[in-house]
Amino acid sequence: MTTGISLVRENAESLRPPRTLWVSFPLGRPLGKPGDSAFQHAVIEHALDLLERDQGPVLEDFPLDAPAVSVEQAPACPISFARPMQDDGSWTARLRNELLEMKPWYDLGRRRRGRTTVGVSNSSIDEIVQKLASWLDDRESPFPDLKWFKYAIEDAKAYYTEALTAQPGDYPPELVFRQLWHESGLGAALRAYYQYFRAHTELQLFARIVAPREAIGGATGEEVIHTPIDKTSAPDKH
Amino acid sequence: MVRLADLPEWEREHLLSKQLPPLGPLQWVSNTKPMSEKRVALITTAGLHFRDDQAFEFADASFRAIPGDENADNLVMSHSSANFDRSGFQEDVNLVFPLDRFKELASDGVIGSLADIHYSFMGAGLLPELYEGSVRGLAGMLKKDRVDAVFLTPV
Repeated sequence: MTTGISLVRENAESLRPPRTLWVSFPLGRPLGKPGDSAFQHAVIEHALDLLERDQGPVLEDFPLDAPAVSVEQAPACPISFARPMQDDGSWTARLRNELLEMKPWYDLGRRRRGRTTVGVSNSSIDEIVQKLASWLDDRESPFPDLKWFKYAIEDAKAYYTEALTAQPGDYPPELVFRQLWHESGLGAALRAYYQYFRAHTELQLFARIVAPREAIGGATGEEVIHTPIDKTSAPDKH
Repeated sequence: MVRLADLPEWEREHLLSKQLPPLGPLQWVSNTKPMSEKRVALITTAGLHFRDDQAFEFADASFRAIPGDENADNLVMSHSSANFDRSGFQEDVNLVFPLDRFKELASDGVIGSLADIHYSFMGAGLLPELYEGSVRGLAGMLKKDRVDAVFLTPV
């Protein structure tokens, strides 16, 4: 028997799994609030209670929203995203300078949490940033391997957000989102990659892994794949 | 926050595009054991795995095993969707994969025991039918592990 959480009530209504607890929390946060074990236990307890029901399907609403966290109460952003004087206007200089600012905060965050979620790509953050910037500066150079690209941008985003949230405190997801996607050079670089993916028919399917719909302001391409694919190379020329 | 009425139209349309009919006749298993005797497994679609596991591909219906005696703090995420918050997971793995919470429930006797192995899929893009082969194999492993109930978390 199963019980579980749904983040989108309408999808659960339609698919009708046997036992589901709908929660009003943001996508990515099915248990509500990081570091709040009492709140997480309340969600789990409600979902486990559904196992006791003798008729279904059961779709219930968790009665609480996630504890509110205001942008004003979040720790100040430790990074200045203003471009320094020595910036020569290249992506390479912009991202390299930005990464220098990020590093001490990433290290602080890793020490505070005792963990990091960076490490999917097996590349160093310096290599990732250098490769991402390098192709944007020279689009005649070979496009990065797509499989590497997927894991590299996952690591880059994780590195940045762990740095931006290094200080103890509560961070609303929308604040981290704004800093990453609308203030940082990495966000601008990934949006540039997104535009490239969208402009090339053979790459459009991959655009949605590059930038979120909310950063682009709309749909990010084909939403459902009907057969498994393994497309790991992109054209050298464009 | 994920109340469709609160979202921009394009986001609402995207999420509603995920509405699918039931996969078949309702599967209903009646409760036969008290919670304090149930053996429970966790399954997430968050694309979690350990660093030395194979990361998830762009579209991938396979799953990764997460032994219950491993430290969940070492899990990383290779989910293909860019459209959900990751900062909460980075702060606390239990927000997405509440293994520590369930260990507490087992320790307190609220549930009978935890499965030896838990599992992660990567729930992006593919239609549900494409997961059937993986899921059938997984169901067999859960039976071998004498699991009574599965707690499912999305991301």
